[in-house]
This record gives sequence, C-alpha cells and structure tokens, in this order.
Amino acid sequence: MRNPRKKHDELRVEGIGVCQGVSIGRAFLVDDPQGRIVRLFLPHEQIESEIRRFRAVVQVAQRQVEEAIDRMRTALGADRAYILEAHLLLLQDRGIGKQIEDFIRENNANAEWAIKDVTSHLLELYARITDDYLRERGSDVVDVSQRLIKILSGTKNYDLNEMADGAIIIADDLLPSVAADLDPHRVIGFVTNAGGWASHTSIMARSLNLPAVVGARNITSMVRSGETLIIDGTTGTVVLHPSPETLLFYTELRERQQQQYIHDIRDRELPAVTRDGIEIKLRANIELVEEIDIFQRFNAAGVGLYRSEFLYTQATDGLPTEQQQFEAYRFLAEMSGRDGAVVRTFDLGGDKLHLEGYEIERNPALGLRAIRLSLAAPAIFRTQIRAILRAAAHDDGWPRLKILLPFVTNLDEVRQAREIITRVERELIEEGIPHAAKVPVGVMIEVPAAVLIAESLAREADFFSLGTNDLTQGMLAVDRGNENVSSLYDPLHPAVLRAIRWVSDAAIKTGIPLNVCGEMASNPAQVILLLGMGMTDLSMTPSSIPMIRRLVRAIDLAKAQQVAEEALRLTTPREVHAFLTKKMPEMGEQFLATGQG
Amino acid sequence: MRQTELHITNRLGLHARAAARLVRLANQFQSQIWLARTEVGHQPADAKSIFGVLLLAASQGTLVRITVEGPDEEQALLSISRLIEEKFGED
Repeated sequence: MRNPRKKHDELRVEGIGVCQGVSIGRAFLVDDPQGRIVRLFLPHEQIESEIRRFRAVVQVAQRQVEEAIDRMRTALGADRAYILEAHLLLLQDRGIGKQIEDFIRENNANAEWAIKDVTSHLLELYARITDDYLRERGSDVVDVSQRLIKILSGTKNYDLNEMADGAIIIADDLLPSVAADLDPHRVIGFVTNAGGWASHTSIMARSLNLPAVVGARNITSMVRSGETLIIDGTTGTVVLHPSPETLLFYTELRERQQQQYIHDIRDRELPAVTRDGIEIKLRANIELVEEIDIFQRFNAAGVGLYRSEFLYTQATDGLPTEQQQFEAYRFLAEMSGRDGAVVRTFDLGGDKLHLEGYEIERNPALGLRAIRLSLAAPAIFRTQIRAILRAAAHDDGWPRLKILLPFVTNLDEVRQAREIITRVERELIEEGIPHAAKVPVGVMIEVPAAVLIAESLAREADFFSLGTNDLTQGMLAVDRGNENVSSLYDPLHPAVLRAIRWVSDAAIKTGIPLNVCGEMASNPAQVILLLGMGMTDLSMTPSSIPMIRRLVRAIDLAKAQQVAEEALRLTTPREVHAFLTKKMPEMGEQFLATGQG
Repeated sequence: MRQTELHITNRLGLHARAAARLVRLANQFQSQIWLARTEVGHQPADAKSIFGVLLLAASQGTLVRITVEGPDEEQALLSISRLIEEKFGED
C-alpha cells in the first residue's frame, strides 16, 4: 500500500496534444475502451446489494436470450438457435456465477469489473485450446459478458457518472461510444495511453472542445483516480503531482487562453472571406445533438457532418426507434438554421452492431459496415430514412437536412440506396405523413475505390463529402490507432493529396458541391492546400472554426493555388512538410504547424 | 459410483451445440456427473456446467471418461453414453 500522505515529486509525461487548452483537475481512471467498466471500491454495506444487482442482470439477460431463441425458432427453425442456447447455459452456469459473486465479495468490486475480470480469466483458458473451432467458441463468452455489461450500464450507472466535477479522464484508449456516457459539464479533459491526432479520443475531445493528450504511454499505470493533474493540450504535456509554482504557471496560462477564447467569440460574426473576396463555408462536424450549443458559439454555417450512429451508441436498448430518431433530427434541423445539416446515415459495423445470422468479424473496419450494413438490413435503413425525410420538412419548402451515404465503394450501392429512399418517400405520401421532398443524397468519398470512380459517382450523387481521415488510412493502408505505424498516417502524403485533387476535379467538372469533413479541414497548413485545390466548403470540429476563420481572412486564394500546385508536384511526405513549413510564414499569419502532432 | 470411457466421434467434437445438449441432459439427473479427458493432468469438468464442458475442448477422436455418482447414476450414465455414441444427433 502506498501511503496516501506521502509527498510525490512533480512528474511530467509527454504525449501528443490533440485539443488545445489547459485543464487542471482530478484524475478519473476508466478501465475499458468502451468506458463502461470502471473499477470501484465498494463499501462493505454495499456488497450484498451489488450481488443482488448482478443476479438481477443475469435474470434479465436470460429472459432476453430466451426471447431471442423463441424468435429464431419461429423464423429459422429449431436448429438455428443452438448458439443462443449455449449462451443461455453460460448464463445459468452456477460455477461462473459463483466466481463472479466471490470476486465482488473478496475485492469489494462492482459487478462490471468482476464480470470483466472473471471472463478475461476464462478467455485465457480458452486461448490455450488447440482445436481452432473449439477455441473460437471463446466468442460466446465475450458475447455473454458484453450482454451483461450492456444491461448493467443501462440499469444503474456505475460508470462515468460516478465521477466528481472537474474530472480528467485517464484511459488506455476510448471508443466513440464513450461520448454517449460523458457529461460534458463534468469532464474537463482526456489523457490516453494510445492514439494519435486522428484517433477517436482526439476527435471526441475536439468536438467537445476539451483539452486532451493522447499517446501518453503508461499514463494509466502512473495515475490514480482522485489525484490532481494538469494537462496542456497545446504542447502535449501532462503534469502529475504539480508543485505550487507549476500550478500557478498553468493557472495563469489557462487564464490567458480564456481571454483568447473570448476574443474568438467576439470575432465570430466576421465573414469567412479570403483577401481576394472568395467566400469559404465553415461548417461544424458534430456527433451529439447536445453539441449544437458549442457550434452556434462559433457561428458555423450549419452542420457539415452529423454522425448519426451516436444515436445508436447512446441508446440503452438496441436501435433508436423512428420517433427517437425523428426527434433528434428535428432538433438538429431546427438548430442548424438556413444552412441546414448533413445527416450521415449509420456508420455501424460488426464491432458495434452485429446482425443475427452473420459471422462475427475479425476485421470489422473492412466488414459489413456503413452503407453495406444499411443495404443488408434494409429495415434499419428505411426507418432511418423515414425519420430524416420527416424531420427535413420546412414551411418554406426547402429541406433542412441532407442524406449522406458513408463508405460507398460501388455505384450500385448509391443506386440501391436511392431506390429505397424513393420507396420510403412514396410510402410517406400514401400514408399522408408530412415530409420533405427532394432531399439531396450525397456520397462520402473515403475509400480509394470511390476516388477512382468519383466522376461516375458524381453523376448520380447530389453532393460529395470528402472524409480525409478514412481516406488517408485507406490510401496508405495505415491504422491510425496503431502506434507501431501511426507515424505513417499522413494526409500530406503525395498519394493522398493527388487523390483529393482527383475528387475535387471530378466535382468541379460535374458541378456538384464538395465538402471536406475530415481532420484536414481544421489544420491551417492543410486548409491552405484544400483551398488551393479548389475546395471552398469545409466542415470541422466547432472549436477549430475561429482559427480557420482567421486563416481564411488572412490569405489570398490565388496564392494558395500556387502553393497547392507546387505541393502536388512533390514526391515524398517529408518534402511536402518541408515545403509547407517554408511557405507558411509567407502566407501572412503565424500558422506554422504542418499537421503531424 | 459408475464410470465409463468413450470416444467423441462426431465431426465437430464437443462444440457449442453438442455441449449444450449434453449439459441440458446432465441437468435432468440428480447425480453428480463429471467428464474428463483421459490424458494425464486433465481436471474433470462438471457435466452440468456448459463452461466446464466447452473447456474440455474435446474434438473428434478424444477419449473421455464419464463418472457418475448419485441416486440415478445408472440411468444418467446410460443416457449420456447414448448421446455421445449417437454423435449428439449430428453428422
């Protein structure tokens, strides 16, 4: 045991700063990537009620599985339900149940943690099995434990809501779904072991405008919940056990940054027009309708990307209903004003939503996800489209929402989706339900295949949205969340720049609007290239808008075109970085960074 | 106490469906029922626990020892042996 009163020396850990600003707060350790499992130390008098909570959840899970078995028997015959029967037997297994209850008792643990610990031990045993087929059955254990944890998180939230105000989340890495559990009024920052500039934690931090440092190796083993720490998201520094002098320094720095923020707010009404008079649309990327408040603060030209799958990750029981979706989209449409909002249909895959009757996927990133899943499960897609079409309606006849199809690799996917949309519209007319007509349908360009067929796609799409993060990953075959190779992730790679140019040319040639919605749109040097390549419609995390507005107002588009022309002739990422570092001071402002964190 | 040894002969071995059948059958008896691989060093598994049975990882050709003890041991051993011999109704 460490003596809690022992005085620690100040300790600095360097990581990658991914959202600017200083936070001083108390550490809150989160132990699993979904952010649902936190380790608590329960007081003795709470142990028995925790065990009752666990038992109750097992009952609920059994009922759920029994109902699923009945449904499956009816639909597919008795033979197909056997996997679920194995799940049921796992839930009824007294041995495992007792191990979990003992764990709760002996460790004063919460049920989530006990389930995680016991099942990971079981999985280790499974991993030793040599027969491939039998070893794979470990996935049954994973499935069942996830079901239990999901139900637990929907009952009483022993999760992020347990933390005090002013919490800095410390985790290995965070999945997008964690955003659903976060109370933005209580969290003031993030630090993770893993991740880079474009990892999910980073995107989420920027969308909530909270200081964050990622790639701070071993941070989870160095910090304990409740300790005071400082994070500087501008430099990527984390300070543990800060001395009084350090605390004073950062308190003053935070004060100065808040002044700058007030300055940005004051300038938000200034038009985003280049010195040679070209208007640039600066829109907001948002994940939660709650963020609307943040984006209005920066005067965004509507929402360029609304990631609708967060509705799913937020829901406690399965997919959101048509009515739930309608209400969220309606709110989005109303708050976005005349510029409207682009709703990207669910980008869900096997890691989040597993369709009954399909194999568990080893590599969900290249699996049945996004538009593929929507077309494979048209009922889910139809429900979403109905909700969007209904919510898009406005008195003046102009739809306030647009539909964006993610992860398109094939023109047929666009055609099929359009057919479904047309059918849904016809149904709404027949049913006499108010809805918007002629809602634009756009295609997300984020896969190399879509780049190469951009012109054909452009002839059948109403607009393009360029997702530079996934496109960079796909073009370079790099997983940006994998620290071993994340340094190879680089939107300034000549292949990525040329792909973007190709898409831009296709959009200009066919006359459809093109919006850029990846992280590139919030990086000053990269924005200059985007503008120079002909893009005038950018969507970004709301907190980046003031900086990009200053940049746009400071440059000449003609000069940006020259810079882009020259950059496109370079052959290595390093040359591009060096070139931009040289050019940036000439662009008239103090925007020096070329991008890589 | 009664004991017998049998080969698992169905193609997929004691996988999820077969294990589920075996566990459901075992739970119909009052007797305690264990299943063990015959190689040295293997712990017997409770045949009423799906987890224990799956962890045996008994693939096709594995020799397992069934041990039964209790008031209905005769009937239990007979039923379980028959299930295994009949390849869990598969193949």
